[in-house]
Amino acid sequence: MHLWLGFAALALVFWGITGVTQKLSTNSISSERSFLWFCWAMVALSAAVLLVARPHTGLGAVVVLSSIAGGTLNGLGAWTSFRALESGGKASIVISLISLYPLLTVGLAVLLLGERLTHMQLAGAITAVIAAILLSLEGPSAESASNHPA
Amino acid sequence: MQDSGPRTFPKWLLWSLATILLWGTWGLVSKIASGGMDAYLNQLLYTVGLFPLMVFVGWTVSKRSAGEAREGRNRGIFWAFLTGILGGLGNLAFFQALVKGGTASVVAPVTALFPVVTVLLAVVFLRERLGRVQWLGLALAFVAIYLLSV
Repeated sequence: MHLWLGFAALALVFWGITGVTQKLSTNSISSERSFLWFCWAMVALSAAVLLVARPHTGLGAVVVLSSIAGGTLNGLGAWTSFRALESGGKASIVISLISLYPLLTVGLAVLLLGERLTHMQLAGAITAVIAAILLSLEGPSAESASNHPA
Repeated sequence: MQDSGPRTFPKWLLWSLATILLWGTWGLVSKIASGGMDAYLNQLLYTVGLFPLMVFVGWTVSKRSAGEAREGRNRGIFWAFLTGILGGLGNLAFFQALVKGGTASVVAPVTALFPVVTVLLAVVFLRERLGRVQWLGLALAFVAIYLLSV
């Protein structure tokens, strides 16, 4: 097994658990307050990470800005997904629609980073998106699987 | 010819499209960042990127908190904080997958399958039931992971 796949699977498990904990949180408090405490936990985790992070020198501006932008983009995405649900969108439609986001990543990575997919991987990417949509379409679990956790 | 009158673009659709754009781009910038730093520093800077949102959401929460029920607030905060810790650990694994050679166009679709774990946990711990479509989604998710990993 590729090492990267092991880490990707680990991310999938952690984020998957957050689907349940997030649901448990928003059962008791508003989505905004939940998001705020989610962020404070990120700060706490990052403080812990400071202990193990190695000092870096000579980091490029693009790399640093990309990393900071990552936090803003992902956080904003969580906020806009809440707004979509609060603006009258049916959960099954909104969640299915936003499940398409990996396709944009694939497109941008191919166009801007020059990444290439094999036919199998392309089929896998499309199957993954279909799977994510189907998982959000039916049943009471749809809401708990709604938001990108990180 | 019949005039159907002015049509407005539904707000929920705009928010959903914005979410796709934000999360889709996040995958791209994460790969760029991972090319020049380790996962720990990436997580640190990611958190820096969350700060502007924390200020905005914190302001929103303080404005609305007067009318918010206090019952169960601590429980909700606990789950939100746990969501943040798990989400951050998921981030670290995601960044590590990118550092270890995973391409954005493959890692993003794999990790986007996290609802698989959410759905399974919801079945076990929240006693939610799956519909046929969700079972199909679950099966397709495993097919997708296989296709993306070969």
